[in-house]
Amino acid sequence: MTKGSVRFEAVTKRFGSVVALKPLTLDIAPGTLVTLLGPSGCGKTTTLRLIAGLETASEGRILIGGQDVTHQSATYRRVSMVFQSYALFPHMSVAENVGYGLSVKRLPKAQVRERAEEGLALVGLAGFGKRLPSELSGGQQQRVAVARAIVLEPEVLLLDEPLSNLDAKLRRHVREEIRQIQQRLGLTAVYVTHDQEEAMAVSDRIIVMKNAEIAQEGSPHDLYDRPASAFIADFIGDANLIDVEVSQSGADTEIALLGRRLRVALPPVPNGAAKMVLRPHQVRLTRDAQGFALPAEVTYAAYLGNQIQYTLDSEAGRIFAICAPVAAPFRPGDGVHVTFDPADVRLVPA
Amino acid sequence: MKTTFSVSALALIAAFAASGSAAQSLNVVCSNEQDWCDLMAQNFKIDTGSDVAMVRKSTGEVLAQIRAEKGNPKVDVWWGGTGDPHLIAASEGLTVATDVDTTGQLGWSQNMTAISEGRAIGVHVGLLGIIYNTEVLAEKKLSVPACWRDLAKPEYKGEIQVSNPNSSGTAYTELATLVQLFGEDEGFKLLADIGANVNQYTKSGSAPGKAASRGETTLGIGFMHDMVKLKKAGFPVEIVSPCEGTGYEVGAVSVISGTPNMDSAKAWVEYVLSPEAQSRGLEVGVFNIPSNPASATDPEAPDMASIKLIDYDFKTYGSSATRARLLTRWEAEVKNAGGAIEN
Amino acid sequence: MTGQAPFGTFHMTRTAGLWLLIGLAGYALLPWYMVAGGFWSLRWIMAPLGDGASGLTHSLQGKVWLALPLTGFAIAAVAVLGRASQLTTARLLVLAGTVGLALLVAQGLLVLRDGPRLALLGTASQTGMGAGAAVTATGLLFLLTTGISSLGRGRGDAFVTGLVGLVVALVAVFVFYPMAFVLVRAFELRDGAGFGISQFLPRFFDPNVWGMACFRGTGYCGPAINSVALGVMTGAGTTALGLAFALIFTRTQFRAKRLLRVLTILPIITPPFVIGLALILLFGRSGTFTTFFADAFGWEKTRWLYGFWGVWLAQMLSFTPIAFLVLIGVVEGVSPSMEEASQTLDADRWQTFRFVSLPLMRPGLANAFLLGFIESLADFGNPLVLGGNFNVLSTEIYFAIVGTIADPAKAAILSLVLLSLTLSAFVIQRRWLGKKNYATVTGKADSGRNAALNPALRAVCYGVALPWAAFTMIVYALIVFGSFVKLWGVNHTFTLEHYKRAFAITIRNGVHFTGAAWDSYVTTLTIAAIAAPLTAAVGLATAYLLVRQTFTGKAVFEFSTMLSFAIPGTVIGVAYVMAFNFPPIELTATATILIIAFVFRNMPVGVRGGIAALSQLDKSLDEASIMLGANSFTTLRRVILPLMGPAILAALTYSFVRAITSVSAVIFLVSARHNMATSFIVGRVENGEFGIAIAYATVLIVTMLAAILALQALIGRRTLRRADRVEAP
Repeated sequence: MTKGSVRFEAVTKRFGSVVALKPLTLDIAPGTLVTLLGPSGCGKTTTLRLIAGLETASEGRILIGGQDVTHQSATYRRVSMVFQSYALFPHMSVAENVGYGLSVKRLPKAQVRERAEEGLALVGLAGFGKRLPSELSGGQQQRVAVARAIVLEPEVLLLDEPLSNLDAKLRRHVREEIRQIQQRLGLTAVYVTHDQEEAMAVSDRIIVMKNAEIAQEGSPHDLYDRPASAFIADFIGDANLIDVEVSQSGADTEIALLGRRLRVALPPVPNGAAKMVLRPHQVRLTRDAQGFALPAEVTYAAYLGNQIQYTLDSEAGRIFAICAPVAAPFRPGDGVHVTFDPADVRLVPA
Repeated sequence: MKTTFSVSALALIAAFAASGSAAQSLNVVCSNEQDWCDLMAQNFKIDTGSDVAMVRKSTGEVLAQIRAEKGNPKVDVWWGGTGDPHLIAASEGLTVATDVDTTGQLGWSQNMTAISEGRAIGVHVGLLGIIYNTEVLAEKKLSVPACWRDLAKPEYKGEIQVSNPNSSGTAYTELATLVQLFGEDEGFKLLADIGANVNQYTKSGSAPGKAASRGETTLGIGFMHDMVKLKKAGFPVEIVSPCEGTGYEVGAVSVISGTPNMDSAKAWVEYVLSPEAQSRGLEVGVFNIPSNPASATDPEAPDMASIKLIDYDFKTYGSSATRARLLTRWEAEVKNAGGAIEN
Repeated sequence: MTGQAPFGTFHMTRTAGLWLLIGLAGYALLPWYMVAGGFWSLRWIMAPLGDGASGLTHSLQGKVWLALPLTGFAIAAVAVLGRASQLTTARLLVLAGTVGLALLVAQGLLVLRDGPRLALLGTASQTGMGAGAAVTATGLLFLLTTGISSLGRGRGDAFVTGLVGLVVALVAVFVFYPMAFVLVRAFELRDGAGFGISQFLPRFFDPNVWGMACFRGTGYCGPAINSVALGVMTGAGTTALGLAFALIFTRTQFRAKRLLRVLTILPIITPPFVIGLALILLFGRSGTFTTFFADAFGWEKTRWLYGFWGVWLAQMLSFTPIAFLVLIGVVEGVSPSMEEASQTLDADRWQTFRFVSLPLMRPGLANAFLLGFIESLADFGNPLVLGGNFNVLSTEIYFAIVGTIADPAKAAILSLVLLSLTLSAFVIQRRWLGKKNYATVTGKADSGRNAALNPALRAVCYGVALPWAAFTMIVYALIVFGSFVKLWGVNHTFTLEHYKRAFAITIRNGVHFTGAAWDSYVTTLTIAAIAAPLTAAVGLATAYLLVRQTFTGKAVFEFSTMLSFAIPGTVIGVAYVMAFNFPPIELTATATILIIAFVFRNMPVGVRGGIAALSQLDKSLDEASIMLGANSFTTLRRVILPLMGPAILAALTYSFVRAITSVSAVIFLVSARHNMATSFIVGRVENGEFGIAIAYATVLIVTMLAAILALQALIGRRTLRRADRVEAP
């Protein structure tokens, strides 16, 4: 059963002489929520619009549900989209907005009304049908946009930065709702965002894009735990990137850090210059040196209630650390030692 | 949706296709006053029983149109308007001779017919004259002009309006009249002297008379029948017939070459030459002098007998070569020699 | 769940099959040539072998060349019925359309009434194409575009490619084809020595055309310089005034908005010459105001009105409404939330206006200016009446055609000068707008209120607009007054005589419309009513293509749609007569030629207005509709058009009104059977019969006003927000 799958075969997209997408091959499994994540201009929106049919591929093939749709217009693709701006039709009521796609298909009026009401109920807006979009709050408008997209029961649901116009609290709430609806209906969803936390929270799989191509793809855990590059390590969760020298690659890797040698596990990288990835919460701070330790000085400390964030200056550069709150935190100017568990350390090419 | 689109496309096509082409009756383009045009069309129908479709256009527009339509004309007869464009059309083969009998008409009418080899027949005549606004003249304490030469007096500086011979047949008639009256060099000198007093060379020949009637200019040069009409309408104007003598235009009727309705066209020509038809002009305030001596005239209309007329040489001054030469000279010696003092 | 087949071979062959059938039906059933009495008389049905003979019948009767377009249909049939791959089918359709159209055009241009252009065709002759030929050509055209869309162009959207094809074909036939007739004349050598470039450049750059002596105070400026100066002044002036009116409408709580609205519409619905006449009566040397100031202050009575400033004043009166119509939609469209955003950033009302609202109105301002500039350049009535010795290109062109020495080459060259000026204005406008995004109606609904104007700006708007409104009112009061008195300016005795002469109805043995004006009045209204929706449709469709679609040659396409507007009506009139008086397209002396002239002459206004309105609609709205399974046509109908109410209203109103009031092109195209009101009025004005002329004009103004109000009630305003709220000052 390939219904709901999306497949790109060496798809490229050029706008004039600008390359918006380098040859891209990807597979999205049915029923999963895949996020396209990356900084602006990385090609994630182009990819989404290619799936939608709003752009035509310059080369390559696009398949949806196993069918070649490369030259099929957006109208005929069984794909729905939630726009960043919601794109609610301002002259139609909420119910008319949600029922639009159904009425375009010439469904009987009663059925359109019924299914629009169902769609609104699904997003918790039952009874709001008669209002104009301008009479709803931002979060409500967003949910109308989702309802409008899913009443068509598309093979693939596309979401283009759907939460960027909402405030932080609402964002978390709505993204949970989106995830629940997606899972309940078993929809394939492709989600574009530049917010890594949002991506981590909703996705089955994340495709990180950079410079018009895929930088790395995998489950949220994969990306966090096994970053393939300094870019990914830094982009997915915060990371301290420390220059090291890999002297012997293999099952048991030995690295040199500021003249000292250290044995770490996983993953193997070529000998030579590399970067060590150290997550802020993996940093341990002590007053006195115990075994391998980097001397550093606290330059900034922020108390956030459930944690304390430190910025430190060390010989290896600036280090960012997150620690559990303690009765006597360090103060700016304090000299500390930075230690970590070698098992936590990941290496990426320099 | 395809069907909706197709329907609208078809509607568009249908709109374009919905038109007839073949004319069933006589098409006349008229260069006289609208009322006169309408009156003659109605009476033609009453008197002859033939239907006539009438449209009014100025002579320049008619000439441009029948040139563009050459070979497949959409009008049958061109009636009225000053004679020069009719003669040009005749010389370009745009109009065709009818063997309508003109022996009963006045001399100038037969003359016109002879020059054009029967293609253009004179139907009425209009005399050139001077108009002045009595109120403004009195207010400015200016003397009443009596002759062409009076117009060159310095006291009229900025008070005279004349049309531009490049755009107006009236002004060309005036130019040709002065040249015939005083000789070419002397005529141009007088034109330049008058030009020094001109406030505006208007595009249209009838504009100076209208401007004078409303006091926008003090004096104007134009055709007297237009001026009579303004005076009768109640404007404070008087008309002067220049003492040296004056020129005139002959209004003509021509049948367009290639007309499919030759018989009706001939009937129209005969009709407009008849005294019954020509006398009707008075009903709508036409003060031209009709070509048929049997036609009735208005007592206030200019009387050819009492006005000194020059022997206007239509053949020479109607020819394109003379016209081009005189206009070039006018451009150099009159227009660029001052005058038109506003701006 | 409704199943939906993917667009592919099935959709393509279905669409192509439909057009194949329509084309064949046109070829085999409808009369190929124009029929006597008109298509809708349906008399041709009775004569299937004579007048009503179809292309098929004719080709069997000996006009063998009429069988040529069948080649296209044959190829299309192979494509539709064959079971080739999508790509092959699409290519075959493109071939079918191209071959069919090329052969159709070729036979039309080669075989004329008087015989063929090529000797080897013998003595073949034919008359102008009719309904059958038109439907055949349409069928072939859409076969071509369906094929192109299936090749993957235009995102595979057959509607869009079809629309592009249709507009391109219409513009080619009704703008380029006739213009070619005139412009060829620009290269004609003097004294009939054939054609060549040698005289063109010296005549084009003639100092008589480009002279600047007036700036040095040593003589006259050339008409080109005069036109530019006038155009810039009029464009800037009308845009500023239009903006002031638009702001008063949308951003203040001015009480008499309705009255103001009527006043802003009045000049646009005024037949030509009437404003000029009114101005003469007010400001001429013996005008009311002039006399008053002369008596009261001893000012000298001058003829200042006849020249640059008089023409400018008349053009300001005439064209400010155009700027207003363009700007009101734009000013309404500026999203309140952007203004609110600015105010929350501590900008005061003036700063908000200056740095947020005004820049967002840039496309509107640029379009208003461009329209004002072009209108001024093409205007012919006002310079004719008030120009005095101030010559502009449009009048020079007119007199080069109808003057004592007809010089079509000069007219053509001056037309080219005019065109080059318009082109430059167009390019400068594009540069100035750049590629910025001005969309403010996004899909994100917004419920805010438009910021009120700051007091100083409001005072300026009132200060500029209200005296102007009062002035307009005086002018119009005077016009109405003039229609009720015996002799305007001289004898002010009340009379109804002018109205009686124009619109008398005799009731004796039935009702007879005996007034002199009835005939042209009915014709004018009928033609305008047919032309207006067509103009709006073609104009807005073009705007939609320009703003929302990308296709090759778009910039050229955009400019070509502006062409007919930039060319003075006189030139268009003569071009139409020259091009459409002979086969293959024979339209002179019909009502159709008037309708077509109006549609393609006024289309640019629809285009400009549509572009301004569309660039304020966020593209995601269209995309959302497309994503919801609607095709481009449904999207246009259900999403875009409802949101473009004001633009549609403007386009409809404007084209309706222009069809009634335009004169320059009309003079050459009216015929005995289809006379137009303006032509009638001009005749009366020329004859000095101002009474009946302005009585007729007054009736026309009232008629148009009624029509506009009806349109407004019908189309109404957009409901983007529940109430049209303006923040209390």
